[in-house]
Amino acid sequence: MKPLPPKKSLQFLRWFCREDYLEEFEGDLIEIFEEDFDLSPAKARRKFSWSVIRYFRPKFIKFFRSKNNLNPITMLKNDLKVSYRSLKKQPFFTFLNIFGLAIGMAGCLLISLFILDELSHDKMFQDADRIYRLKIDNRTAGETTKYAAVSPPLAGTIVRDYPQAELVTRFRGMGSLLLRRVDAEQNVKEDYVAGADSSFLKMFGLTLLEGNTEDVLKEPNTLILTKTAAQKHFGVDKALGQSLMLDNNELYRVTGVMEDLPQNSFLRNYSIFVSIEGFEDSRSIAWNNWNFPTFVKLLPDASEQDFVDYMAGVKERYLIPWAMTFVPGLTLESSREDDKKTGSFMNFGCTPLTDIHLYSENRKGEFNPNSSIQNIYILSFIGFFLILLACVNFMNLSTAHSLKRSKEVGIRKTLGSTKMGLVRQFLTEASLISLISLLFAMLIAFLTLPFFNQLADKAISIPFQQPTFWIILMVAVIVLGLFSGSYPAFFMSRFMPVKVLKGSGSTSSGGGNIRNSLVIFQFVISVFLIVCTLVVFQQLSFIQNKDLGFQKDQVLVIENVDAAGPQLESFKQEVQQLGQVKDVSLSSFLPTPSARNGTTLFPEGRVLQGESAIIIGHWRIDHDYISTLDLDIIAGRGFDRQFPTDSNAIILNESAVAMLNVQPEEALGIRLTNDFRRKDKENMQFYTVIGVVKNFHFESLRNDIEAISMILGNDPSRMMAKLSSGDFSNAIANIEQIWNRVAPGQPFSHYFMDDSFNETYKSEVRLGSIFITFTILSIFIACLGLFGLAAFNAERRTKEIGIRKVLGASISQIAYKLSINFLKLVFISIFVAIPLSWYAMNKWLQDFSYRIEIGWWIFLLAAFLAIVISVLTVSFQSIRAAIASPIKSLRSE
Amino acid sequence: MSDYSLGEFQELVLLIVAALHKEAYGVAILKNLEQETGKKFNISAVHMALKRMEDKGFVESTYGGITNERGGRRKKYYVITALGKKILDEQFSLRTRIYQKIPKISFN
Repeated sequence: MKPLPPKKSLQFLRWFCREDYLEEFEGDLIEIFEEDFDLSPAKARRKFSWSVIRYFRPKFIKFFRSKNNLNPITMLKNDLKVSYRSLKKQPFFTFLNIFGLAIGMAGCLLISLFILDELSHDKMFQDADRIYRLKIDNRTAGETTKYAAVSPPLAGTIVRDYPQAELVTRFRGMGSLLLRRVDAEQNVKEDYVAGADSSFLKMFGLTLLEGNTEDVLKEPNTLILTKTAAQKHFGVDKALGQSLMLDNNELYRVTGVMEDLPQNSFLRNYSIFVSIEGFEDSRSIAWNNWNFPTFVKLLPDASEQDFVDYMAGVKERYLIPWAMTFVPGLTLESSREDDKKTGSFMNFGCTPLTDIHLYSENRKGEFNPNSSIQNIYILSFIGFFLILLACVNFMNLSTAHSLKRSKEVGIRKTLGSTKMGLVRQFLTEASLISLISLLFAMLIAFLTLPFFNQLADKAISIPFQQPTFWIILMVAVIVLGLFSGSYPAFFMSRFMPVKVLKGSGSTSSGGGNIRNSLVIFQFVISVFLIVCTLVVFQQLSFIQNKDLGFQKDQVLVIENVDAAGPQLESFKQEVQQLGQVKDVSLSSFLPTPSARNGTTLFPEGRVLQGESAIIIGHWRIDHDYISTLDLDIIAGRGFDRQFPTDSNAIILNESAVAMLNVQPEEALGIRLTNDFRRKDKENMQFYTVIGVVKNFHFESLRNDIEAISMILGNDPSRMMAKLSSGDFSNAIANIEQIWNRVAPGQPFSHYFMDDSFNETYKSEVRLGSIFITFTILSIFIACLGLFGLAAFNAERRTKEIGIRKVLGASISQIAYKLSINFLKLVFISIFVAIPLSWYAMNKWLQDFSYRIEIGWWIFLLAAFLAIVISVLTVSFQSIRAAIASPIKSLRSE
Repeated sequence: MSDYSLGEFQELVLLIVAALHKEAYGVAILKNLEQETGKKFNISAVHMALKRMEDKGFVESTYGGITNERGGRRKKYYVITALGKKILDEQFSLRTRIYQKIPKISFN
């Protein structure tokens, strides 16, 4: 009995060693082993194993050698040539594939660009990662309000008390204002104006094109223009040192011109920054007015958590001690107790600069409306599924057509092609399709980009000049090609040559189950998107047509009427006399969403008792306001010129009455004051409640109706004119004529209130249109796939149909037979998609205070649409096959 | 010319293949090599040299018959080719030529 060498080592050698060397090596190793074994068995074994390991080198390892040393470039050329030929041979199939993929890719490309743009917000600012915006979340008397602005003294306090802060800067929102050159007559309205500290440029790493970056905005009555604004008023190089008249009463000097602010920054569109040095309230020490958006840059090594903790302590450290100076009996403990009792809070905090756009919601005092990360998720989801649907099409059509190519595979295998060679061939084909699709996708994306920009309210361009863009595209094309080609490639390369060449089994094309699941998958997504679109649109029309509690139709708003100065009253009178004008009201407060001031009111007898304070909106209106807007008075009366005492009267809405914890009727006669800070308490001014109006929606329907109070007041900046039906342009022209007479040189800026109201729902409308666009796209892609499958199916069953017809089947029977299998799949998809979409849309609707119920009819409608679309798609092919003459189909053979 | 280069170890193996003529297979070459040089080598090194030289065309190989030895594995015999012989000759004459140029040196 010869000794046996170590088994494991021998196995290892056989596993890795090239077949053509193996016998020789094994023989020599064993010969040496047997010789050594006589001397020392253990040593012989060790030496054997060691030698085996020494053989483990590239030259002897089989995996490093391709069996048939083929030139890869020649093979690639051949693969490409064969791919080209097979694509050309089936033009219809190729067209469906490329068309579907190109549309999917184009959609995905646009969505990706959109998302990249959203994600890039505010990242261009220097040190963006250590800049924070301060915020306040406040809850009083059951009302929660979130502010993007804080009290004026906070900035200075942080500079003094928080050494980790490198820089602090304050803004002051100013809304729109009128502007003119000193030598000009005509005012120009600027909508994007903000007050700013002198440190604002340094904070964001901005520099001036003209002027001294260091000293700018340090003096009162100076301002910076952006390039565009400077160009508009003076010319870029001539603006410096010029003067501008603001709102007809203050002269400002231009001390700097800066580059326009990037469109993906929170300051986008802002064109004028005014020094806040001259502002009265910038030196205020009042902690209860929150008008100053404030930014803090921390030192590079500062800890964010530490700053968050510091901000959380601001209320007790500064605000309460300040309030104690005029609120008798207030202590830290009593305020804590009040908060606990009433559930109120006031939280100071901060938001990282780069989170503002996507993570901070829309707070009061935002510079521009923000987006939300939720929209990004929704869009990524849609983009992902769009491309997935296109890939699924490819897989489905390819495997279905595999039957046609099974002979090719059989011949190739017989002639010595390996499985890997075939896989490579099919993957090359898929990549080629994906590459061609990309070219079309780029073309489609390029052509549709302007529409998309309009849809999404963006200024996106395709970054053709960036190499990374091309690299990502190329990688995406290869990944897509490999992904969509993988299943067909492995599926087809598995064919047994004997079977396929013999012809048996070729009547059924394999992979039917997987193909069916893929179709179901496509239709689940389609039905899901249909339901989502229906719900979004229903909700949109619900909020747009909801009874808002006031008449917004046919109300013409004229902005900046204060420019008329003392002539305002006569302007109102004259407009009133116009035939088509029913009512005219002057007020700064419109029932449309906008930044407003609130006030703190105490009922008489409980003044300065923390829990009885109500912080509510405080609107100054005139006698005609309620009639112009058709507000419903549910208790008491409106303001009346017959009662001179109405100057001390106040009107509340239902929400405000609810905060007082009384019924509307009981509220009449209650006296309220916001004059509690004065020292001589006996002279405190009180307002008497004379009326209660029904709640009306003046905020977006995302929110509950806020509590408001209304008093008679002056200083109106807007006029509302209720018009009767008829020719509006004529009425507007008449009003403009009067305006130009009473206020020559002042701009006449007007709009209808319902238009401005629709602005509020712009983001919802935009989401809706994006949704419907991509829903249609994905349904289209799914239908392309179904169409291809139906065509293939009909073709495969040509003979069967012919025989059935000869035996007497009717056209409708055959069409039914061909369609029903697909319809079954669509039915299954509907049942899967309905619960999914119900869940998702319920979540979306949670955001709205006023929302629709998702009715069963929505699902029914979605199901109906899906069925109709698929029937139309499939029946075209089925009927064509069914009416074909059996002679033709049976003749061959 | 890299194809015709010959390392020191390869040259030794080639010399032994030539010397053993028709009896040169892995183990025999190894044994002769160890005997001549007095050093220990691993069989894998010998095979490596042989396969390299076979690729370059310095040696040719043929299988021997099946026997009961070596677990039934055939031996693979190597013979030197004309090209291999020529390379050896060149190496030898090159060394000889240079060697003859060495002047008489006294190392005292």
